[in-house]
Amino acid sequence: MFKNYFKIAWRNLSRNKIYSFINIAGLSIGLACAMLIILYVKDEVSYDRFHKNVGNIYRITTQGIDKNGVKGRKDPNTGYLQGPRFAQNVPEIKYFVRVQSGSENIKTGTEVKDQDLLYADSTFFDVFSFPLISGNPHTCLKDPSSVVLSEEAAKKQFGTTDVIGKIIMLKDDSDFVPHTVTAVAKKCPQNSSIKFEMLLPIRESKEDASNSQNWFNFFLNTFVVLNSNANIQAIESKMNRFYNDDSKSAITSLRAQFGDDVDNWKSIYLLQPFLDMHMSTELPAQNGLSDASNPMYSYILSGIALFILLIACINFINLTVARSVKRAKEIGIRKVVGGERKQLIIQFLGESFLLCTIAFLLAIILVELVLPVFNSLSNKALAISYLFDVKLVAGYILLFLITSLLAGFYPALILSSYKPVQTLYSRFNLAGKNYLQKSLVVLQFALASFLIIATFTIYSQFNYLTNEKLGYDDTDLVVVNNNFKSHEQAQLFKIELLKDPNIVSVAPRNGGQWGTVAKVSSDSTIQFDYETVDEAYLPTLKIPVIKGRNFSAAFPSDSANSVLVNESFVKQAGWKNPINQTVNFWYNNKKYNVIGVVKDYHYQPLNQKISPQLFTMKKDNSFGMVYIKIKPNSAAASLKTIQKTYKQLFPVNPYSYTFKSEENVKSYDAEAKWKQIMLFGAILTIFISCIGLFGLSVLSAEKRTKEIGIRKVLGASVQGVVTILSKDFLKLVAISLIISIPVSYFVGNKWLQNYPYRITQSWWLFASAAVLVILIALFTVSFQAIKAAIANPVKSLRTE
Amino acid sequence: MIKITELEKVYRTEEVETVALNKLSIEVKEGEFVAVMGPSGCGKSTLLNILGMLDDPDDGSFVFNGIEVAHFNERKRADLRKNNIGFVFQSFNLIDELTVFENVELPLIYTGVKTAERKKRVEEVLDKVQIMHRRNHYPQQLSGGQQQRVAVARAVVNHPKLILADEPTGNLDSNNGNEVMALLTELNEQGTTIVMVTHSEHDARYSHRIIRMLDGQTVTENILI
Repeated sequence: MFKNYFKIAWRNLSRNKIYSFINIAGLSIGLACAMLIILYVKDEVSYDRFHKNVGNIYRITTQGIDKNGVKGRKDPNTGYLQGPRFAQNVPEIKYFVRVQSGSENIKTGTEVKDQDLLYADSTFFDVFSFPLISGNPHTCLKDPSSVVLSEEAAKKQFGTTDVIGKIIMLKDDSDFVPHTVTAVAKKCPQNSSIKFEMLLPIRESKEDASNSQNWFNFFLNTFVVLNSNANIQAIESKMNRFYNDDSKSAITSLRAQFGDDVDNWKSIYLLQPFLDMHMSTELPAQNGLSDASNPMYSYILSGIALFILLIACINFINLTVARSVKRAKEIGIRKVVGGERKQLIIQFLGESFLLCTIAFLLAIILVELVLPVFNSLSNKALAISYLFDVKLVAGYILLFLITSLLAGFYPALILSSYKPVQTLYSRFNLAGKNYLQKSLVVLQFALASFLIIATFTIYSQFNYLTNEKLGYDDTDLVVVNNNFKSHEQAQLFKIELLKDPNIVSVAPRNGGQWGTVAKVSSDSTIQFDYETVDEAYLPTLKIPVIKGRNFSAAFPSDSANSVLVNESFVKQAGWKNPINQTVNFWYNNKKYNVIGVVKDYHYQPLNQKISPQLFTMKKDNSFGMVYIKIKPNSAAASLKTIQKTYKQLFPVNPYSYTFKSEENVKSYDAEAKWKQIMLFGAILTIFISCIGLFGLSVLSAEKRTKEIGIRKVLGASVQGVVTILSKDFLKLVAISLIISIPVSYFVGNKWLQNYPYRITQSWWLFASAAVLVILIALFTVSFQAIKAAIANPVKSLRTE
Repeated sequence: MIKITELEKVYRTEEVETVALNKLSIEVKEGEFVAVMGPSGCGKSTLLNILGMLDDPDDGSFVFNGIEVAHFNERKRADLRKNNIGFVFQSFNLIDELTVFENVELPLIYTGVKTAERKKRVEEVLDKVQIMHRRNHYPQQLSGGQQQRVAVARAVVNHPKLILADEPTGNLDSNNGNEVMALLTELNEQGTTIVMVTHSEHDARYSHRIIRMLDGQTVTENILI
């Protein structure tokens, strides 16, 4: 009997090529998307699970609390003291390990390069399960001059992994110091939040370890291993009790220096399960930990995949039911010769399984093909070999079964319910208003147009982010990383560079982004970004000074006690007349005089708000970066000069440069990727929706052949017939737009709230998406309608 | 074999009520060949469908082989049908996606006959209707007469006690029509009861008895032999 079912199913598939194509194409794309997302999500939730202790590993985190007991922001960082002191005084803590990120110069022969490092306590390999190729996991980090290399780092440095005892030269403050390789670790799994190339013992002086003021200095990650079945809340309260006791003396001494402000510096200690870290947005994996992710991505991707699969299933349901008129005869005959309803249900389900099987096999091929693209889009290193995992295979089989049932069950029920008397005597007519079919089409197009509008929104926002005026000129601006140079060195570099006529101006500034606090009146303190520059900075970047004046070499006092502030600073300080106001760095007894106000500019990407900013020319600060404005079209020659000059002046420093404009575009990488993913999603959904619509329009035209014939005999024009055939479908598309526009407005608006600088979703965004959807649908439907309309009516009437 | 008493069937749509069978009573004995005649819409086909248990009556009694079946549910009817009744339709009603062999095989599949036995029986019956040489063709590749011979083969492959034929020659030319009628006669001579609906007086003459219907009732019965 199954052979017979299979035969019929196969012949139906091969005879009705359009429907088979629509169903198989749609389902295989849908299944492939779903598979990719399952891979993605599986990878996301598998992060860090490979550690043996994983259930008992926690990260010590904090939450600020002010003097009134109001809780503030959570902070994943801790400092030198938390690990050792808690471990000593809370018995449930078995091990602790502090992990600190860093970067040092490494010397190979005469070549000097930057090398990312992790510093960790010697318990690192007791807490985490990173297998070693060679070396002793318990002792490899005990010696202060030891270094543990990853497999790749060992190969990179020495060309082999057999490197125990070999020497690596790493810069320590000012000199290169030999470090002995004590162990080689296997490559860190790609689903690990901790990834290292070189691991060094943590650098902590006796003074660091004993200074209780370090309770307030957060800059590294501390992990602890607890006893199994430990009561987390009890441990947290033990930690907090101990901290409150132990930090008392530090608070007293700090109070003498900073006043009562210290009452706002306290923290509550919390334990974050290690497994929660990868996808935590509140306490992300950062500061030397990698691949911090946002569960939102998993949700969005799953949503898109689900949309696509659902739309493909709807195609299957709609086309099968719509085509059932043609199969009604077969159903009638089967019933007449003794087929029971149950058997017919099994037959039709079998057909849907056959179709899904083909789609499923194609989907696996598709996944294999697009995996590299998907990996680069999603920043992952997923491999098809992940498929060979019992749970995943089970997941795919489940997906396959659900899809087959979802797509096949309803049509099977409908088809098997036909009465043979009606089907065999041509009294059969798929009467009724077909509300289900219509609602499903509406749902498809609502989903597709939702994604299209979402794509439009993301595109416009991205466009805005990348094209909005930054408030400064980033063209022809070269940034050279200067490795914490002094003012004198920076000036020397500047003088040498300016000898080349291609170099327009040179502006040293501090490296990275600094921040601090100061008093702007007797009772108010504000937090701001702290920039060290010289007088060339503002002119080089073409940032206007709107009140007062820029720094000047003509005023020696400028580098001693003058500052510039930006508009946001003035606003937050509440100053009416900013010039000559005082900014009081009370904690080191320095007061500065405001000599000018700088127009606000986007010194950070547009996904961050412009904060209060203060500029100083203090010569004892470091100048870790140099902005170099070059003449247009002189990049090649200028870069040569810059490199040559740098290497001459600082021969043992690694040299690297970027263009500021490229750096700026790069800061929107995440948006750029999501833009692409949404675009793919939107194209796929509209494509699958449209092939479904096409199938329905073919069936509708077939069903109405006689009607069209009669209309034409009575004088209807081709245009008139096309309108009649297309109108019904376009009505459905219009309804779907009415549903999707408000929903996408709401969702889009919510998403845009993440950006301090954003577009408003104007009417044309929705209008253009709507026009696009309608045009695509019209094209799809009218293709068949025109074909039906120009057919010879004599033919259609005769065959009736 | 068949005894129906005061059978009623009414078709209702939203606005119209059509009485198809109006207290109809008929009896058919085992081995009989009965023709049912009458103008379009007199209820012939409805009668045939009820006899074939494709449709159920609204009222009245239908005794088949001594069992009251008027109120059987769909499954029971299907069960009784597949073991006892064969159908021949005016429009052949073959499944286009199946070959001649597979079409004839279908009833045997549903009654659970084993593959080897199926093959034997299908070939036997295809031989009988002289269509063996076309066993691997699809219905569209056959002439109307050939298609109807296949349909007859399908109707008898299960050795049913009763064959219901609904204008079996309606779509055929006279030569092919005669062939099909000869086939039915032969089956009847071998013991199969036949009830045939027809418009053709010529075909009706093959039967033992003609029941003439009008407006859902029998008008006359002519016994021919």
